Amino acid sequence: MDRPMEEELLEQQEDTQKGRFLTFPLGNESYGIEIQYVTEIIGIQPITEVPELPEYIRGIINLRGKIIPVMDARIRFKKPFLEYNDRTCVIVIDVNEVAIGLIVDSVSEVISIAEENIVSTPSIQQINNRYIKGIGKVGNEVKLLLDCEKILNEQELDEVANFE
Amino acid sequence: MTRVLIVDDAAFMRMAIRKVLEKNGFEVVGEAENGEVGYQKYIQCQPDVVTMDITMPEMTGIDALKQIKKYDADAKVVMVSAMGQESLVREAIMSGAKSFIVKPYKEEHIVQTLQSIATA
Amino acid sequence: MAPGNIDESLLDLFIFETSQNIEQLEQIILDYEKESSFTADAINEIFRIMHTIKGSAAMMMFENISSVAHKVEDMFYFIREHSADDIDYGDVADLVLESLDFIRCEMAKINTGTSADGDGAAIAAKIAASLQQKKDKYQNEQQSVTAATADNVVNEEPITKKLHNYAANDENIPVVNKKTYKANIYFDEECQMESLRAFDIINKICQFAEVVEYQPGDIMDNDNSASIIRENGFEVVFKTSGSYTNIDEFFSKLLFIRKYQLKEITEASLPQTEADVTPKIHIDDKTEQKPKAAAMSTAAPADNHTAPVATMINVNVVKLDKLMDLVGEMVISEAMVVENPDLKGLEIENFSKAARQLHKITCELQDTVMSIRMVPLADVFQKMHRVVRDMCKKLGKDVKLEIIGEETEADKNIITHLSDPLMHLVRNCIDHGIESEEERLKNNKPKAGKVTLEARNAGNDVLVIVRDDGMGLDKKKILAKAKKNGLLKKDSSEMSDSEIFNLIFIPGFSTNDNITEFSGRGVGMDVVTSNIEEVGGSVSVESTEGVGTAITIKIPLTLAIIDGMNVQVGDSLYTIPTISIKESFFPKLKDLITDPDGNEMIMVRGQCYAIVRLHQCFNVKSEITDFTQGIFIMVEQYEKTVCIFADQLLGQQQVVVKTLPRYIKNNFKVNGLSGCTLLGNGGISLILDAGWFTGMK
Repeated sequence: MDRPMEEELLEQQEDTQKGRFLTFPLGNESYGIEIQYVTEIIGIQPITEVPELPEYIRGIINLRGKIIPVMDARIRFKKPFLEYNDRTCVIVIDVNEVAIGLIVDSVSEVISIAEENIVSTPSIQQINNRYIKGIGKVGNEVKLLLDCEKILNEQELDEVANFE
Repeated sequence: MTRVLIVDDAAFMRMAIRKVLEKNGFEVVGEAENGEVGYQKYIQCQPDVVTMDITMPEMTGIDALKQIKKYDADAKVVMVSAMGQESLVREAIMSGAKSFIVKPYKEEHIVQTLQSIATA
Repeated sequence: MAPGNIDESLLDLFIFETSQNIEQLEQIILDYEKESSFTADAINEIFRIMHTIKGSAAMMMFENISSVAHKVEDMFYFIREHSADDIDYGDVADLVLESLDFIRCEMAKINTGTSADGDGAAIAAKIAASLQQKKDKYQNEQQSVTAATADNVVNEEPITKKLHNYAANDENIPVVNKKTYKANIYFDEECQMESLRAFDIINKICQFAEVVEYQPGDIMDNDNSASIIRENGFEVVFKTSGSYTNIDEFFSKLLFIRKYQLKEITEASLPQTEADVTPKIHIDDKTEQKPKAAAMSTAAPADNHTAPVATMINVNVVKLDKLMDLVGEMVISEAMVVENPDLKGLEIENFSKAARQLHKITCELQDTVMSIRMVPLADVFQKMHRVVRDMCKKLGKDVKLEIIGEETEADKNIITHLSDPLMHLVRNCIDHGIESEEERLKNNKPKAGKVTLEARNAGNDVLVIVRDDGMGLDKKKILAKAKKNGLLKKDSSEMSDSEIFNLIFIPGFSTNDNITEFSGRGVGMDVVTSNIEEVGGSVSVESTEGVGTAITIKIPLTLAIIDGMNVQVGDSLYTIPTISIKESFFPKLKDLITDPDGNEMIMVRGQCYAIVRLHQCFNVKSEITDFTQGIFIMVEQYEKTVCIFADQLLGQQQVVVKTLPRYIKNNFKVNGLSGCTLLGNGGISLILDAGWFTGMK
């Protein structure tokens, strides 16, 4: 991947992580993930399918001996599936030692968003924004900030009904 | 470099002391989990200083101290005690312990104590 | 060491050692409780262990654990010093066990990374109250007030200004040319045990001077003088021929001293007490009694040898897991090298020789690593003593626990999974199996019930049997219950006893209507089954009405590496544990049957077996859907057999079992897979759960 960005990721690893987000485009929107959850960014890998999982979980990959599941962000956020190409990235995130790879079209950059520039999402039932922690304002653009913990804990939210 | 032998029945305590010592430029030449082994290790390793727990199985720190002192009258032994063990510490000092530290100790306490004893 | 920056390896060791200490202590308590008295050795041992826990916890700043441990230590200090015969050991045992439970609970929190915030005040107060009661009782009996214990209230009596005399040890110092000095010493606020620090200083001064007097004078026998020194400092007067500079240097080198004043004083200002009194050094005779060599090996509780403990080391299981993983990868890599397609058809004798040698070493290495991971079942078995004790106490039953074969070993990870099911089974035995005393006597059984835990090796498995001599399972009740819950698949008259008994393991069957505190909790035996199956084991039950019940748990010796057969379906690869494969074969058309419901079956040697199409079952695209083009693998588990249809066999190899990622396990239920494994080419193969396949139809 992008060398400078990886270096930047490393540099930011310690206490400066707060308020810093890795951004990536998805369809017409731009999303952000808190840097502290991102462990690495890799190109797309061969995926082993696992039966009986929802469509957005594409399967599992071998990340240097560690086996992690990969989730297609497009399908997860109800966007049309896009064939993977050499720009496709897997953002590996780790929340409380539960790791997952998020498949995205590409990644953009790491930016800082100050607390006061983050607004909460409107809480109307019709709007499906369970995975969005807030909306960050950067200049004229907005970034949808993902809630990593919620992404990694499906069950409590909507899967429970399907399996009971 | 000051060579230290750590005698304590709790592996945790040995590790805690070892970490403090190694960080502060001491060399830990041996560990022992009771007085008996401590005495044998003393003969074997000939350390500059010994940190000696008091309450241990098989042979207590006090008895080990006495044995070591019998073997080497110049042995430098520091007792590691806890509150409530005053009378034992007193006996240890009478028996030739150079000093004592009280658990839970501060890092600098143990370092200062050992440094001053090693250079004395 | 603030909790924030605790050294991780130190914390690991703290958790490990403290847990071990808790187990050991619990065992001592349970052992001696039966005899309702503790031997002097046991008391020493309990005191020592509590002392260790207290010290370690204090170092790690776990104040609540440390303070509870301290209280127990105090109690045993009292018991040790006063060896009162009339102490209520049941009461003491309860208090200690309660404390251990508290500490264990806090340890669990620490282990999972949450803050150990439990409030130990209640239990500490309880112990303190009990101790006070014992002290009062003792004092009344002794009519004296000598019961000085470690936590005595700080003595508030007025400071004795009387000066004590202290003669130098060294009589050889010539009296001539001696000057008298007075030193006022103030210790660091945190130095602790000020009276002993002062005592130490006097001892040191004695080596070069003659100590005339010091103040407070009772540092030898009054530990409470520490508080006086803390406030007023410590004063010592001594005579020496040494120069002021030398003496000042001596004081400047002393430790833990906040400040000191050294003054030369004239003879005249001295009080008229001469230093001719013989040294009065009072040694408290309440020294610790030597704990006799109690045969308690901390490194390996089951190990009765007195071999030097120094040859044992404690290793974090995570490291062993890692080692196991690495060996696993090596096994795979070896296969990759030796079976490399580039070598096909080559005449390479030397290579083959070297490869064989490599294989031999790899196997040995693997066996060695496996053996390191093997631990005896003793720990898990010993835990059951406590379970039996608590159950008996609560239910008012008298049950003896017998343990056989606790030295039997199994993989550490498997044993971890055994603990909960075993506890459940033992509770069940006592709660539902063993009859009440009256009933037992009526049936000519011994008054006390008996629960036997037995372990033994059986090939690649370990059998763990929980047996009781209770009333046995009631077939009628089981059938009725199964019927009520809609669990009966066939007519009860056609069912064998074994089939009926095994109904209790089916999810949704909970035998007890009256949920008791212990074994009920709304969960049934199916929890036991699912726990055991998770590690590839199985559970079965035998019972004779009126005589007793025996539940047999079969667990594999080890999990980490298994022999597996790799099969292909479309682009996907699967691994079937070789142990559950009976055979693989190409079918004959005439043996294939489809019933009117569309269920596919195959006749093999006169027996009819269900067919599972892997491609259908896992929804995988495959060109091969015609039975004659693929292959059948007959799989047996738990005495049930099924034929799995796959595209082709790829070959057999040893595979390292990895669990599915946590995210998947946490969020979804994946049927039919027990894990996954890495292949030589870096690809992933999914390991089939044979039990699920045989149970699915």
